[in-house]
Amino acid sequence: MASSQANLGKTLLWLWVSATLFGFLFLYFEEFSRLAHNTADACVVQNGLKSDYYAKATQELCAKQGGTLVAGTWWYVFAPIAMAFALSYSHGMFTGLFWDLLGLKAKK
Amino acid sequence: MEHMVLINFIDIGLGGAIMLILIGFVGGLVSGFIGSGGAFVLTPAMMALGAPGMVAVASNSCHKFPKAIVGVLKRHKYGQVDVKLGLVMAFFAEAGVLFGKHMMTSIRNSFGAVGTDLYVSAIFILTMAVVGSFMFRDYRRLKNMSDEQQKEVGLTRLAKWVQSVRIPGTMFYSRGAQSELSFLFVIPLGFATGFLSSAIAVGGLIGVPAMIYILGVPAIMASATEMVIAVATGLGATFLYGLEGAVDIRMAMLILLGSLFGIQLGAIGTTYVKDYQIKFAMAVIMLTVLFSRFFYVPGYLSSVGMMAPLPAGTLQVLKWIGDGVLYLALFIGAYTVLSALIQGMKLHREKRSLGIQESAAD
Repeated sequence: MASSQANLGKTLLWLWVSATLFGFLFLYFEEFSRLAHNTADACVVQNGLKSDYYAKATQELCAKQGGTLVAGTWWYVFAPIAMAFALSYSHGMFTGLFWDLLGLKAKK
Repeated sequence: MEHMVLINFIDIGLGGAIMLILIGFVGGLVSGFIGSGGAFVLTPAMMALGAPGMVAVASNSCHKFPKAIVGVLKRHKYGQVDVKLGLVMAFFAEAGVLFGKHMMTSIRNSFGAVGTDLYVSAIFILTMAVVGSFMFRDYRRLKNMSDEQQKEVGLTRLAKWVQSVRIPGTMFYSRGAQSELSFLFVIPLGFATGFLSSAIAVGGLIGVPAMIYILGVPAIMASATEMVIAVATGLGATFLYGLEGAVDIRMAMLILLGSLFGIQLGAIGTTYVKDYQIKFAMAVIMLTVLFSRFFYVPGYLSSVGMMAPLPAGTLQVLKWIGDGVLYLALFIGAYTVLSALIQGMKLHREKRSLGIQESAAD
């Protein structure tokens, strides 16, 4: 009984951690998207409310398209990698405990 | 003529998010059920939702490698990972990833995002046709054998030969194969695994069978060892494609959300079924997914100018059929794994209660 309560506590804790991370990702997705597209030089063209990102951009081609050329910063690539690590770990812990809690176990 | 290339991420509303989670769930179920390489349903599914081939591959790699880290640590505890073989293969797989990524970006630069759709589809169809046919053949062979005969299936002739070859200065001991191997044999296998990993995000489809049939590693160790390679190739591909601005972290994480639920359920499912049932499920899903890709190809060919333009109505109908066949494959995948799990658990419970009754009667 005590162990199942402890498991429920742990499951809820990991659910909270992964839900917070998912919330953070969705709330700041525009920022994540900007970082993802700006690892290399990109031409940003405003298209209504959203931005279009063009690769292989030069100043001249970008100006023709009516966009702004943004210089790339390669280490932005670590933003999605770090998020993938954090979410995979916390959500993995949660789902493992979740099925356990429901009594689904491998055949011994 | 110089031109810029538009690589955008797909818009994801509530419906799209639910769809991605469900697709991830089925991908995870299949992944857990067959041991590795189940992500083969995810790349075409992301493309069906509108992601360019390059973004689908990059995002699939990004969702895959952290999962592989967790998997490899877990299975290392059970002693199933041949670390040395995994690292040697991973080293050469990285060369394959670099080559594959170079191919993908060259195609994107020449033909745009739709060029990558065509490239990914072509490699996908070829790989699924070869691996799916092998799986089907294996299923038919194993089905006609008794449990004892299945256990006695030993090394292939090719694996025996590979293990007998001695090339001075190139030998290393593989714990999985329980023999010395020349790394000269490992180079092409590692390279092909890495190449496929960066071309369709599923290197395990080549890596695992290659370790089993060519190097003579037992299936359970091969799928565990492949995770070492998946960590290296997944991380490599995510990093390299990330530098090209192609990793859609939101799409990758929605897939992961469903996939982590599915993978654990699929893995539990394997403990209740026979090996040939897993092979059959894999062959059916692979061949159905491969079939779905054919319907998109005319659209890609006409977009890159390799075929006369098709009327918009025809393209739309072809896309609907392709989507339909793909969703059918996903349904078959989910149904196969879940029904195997439910039936297996029911049978197991009945056997146990019969055992308890018998021992009470004694």
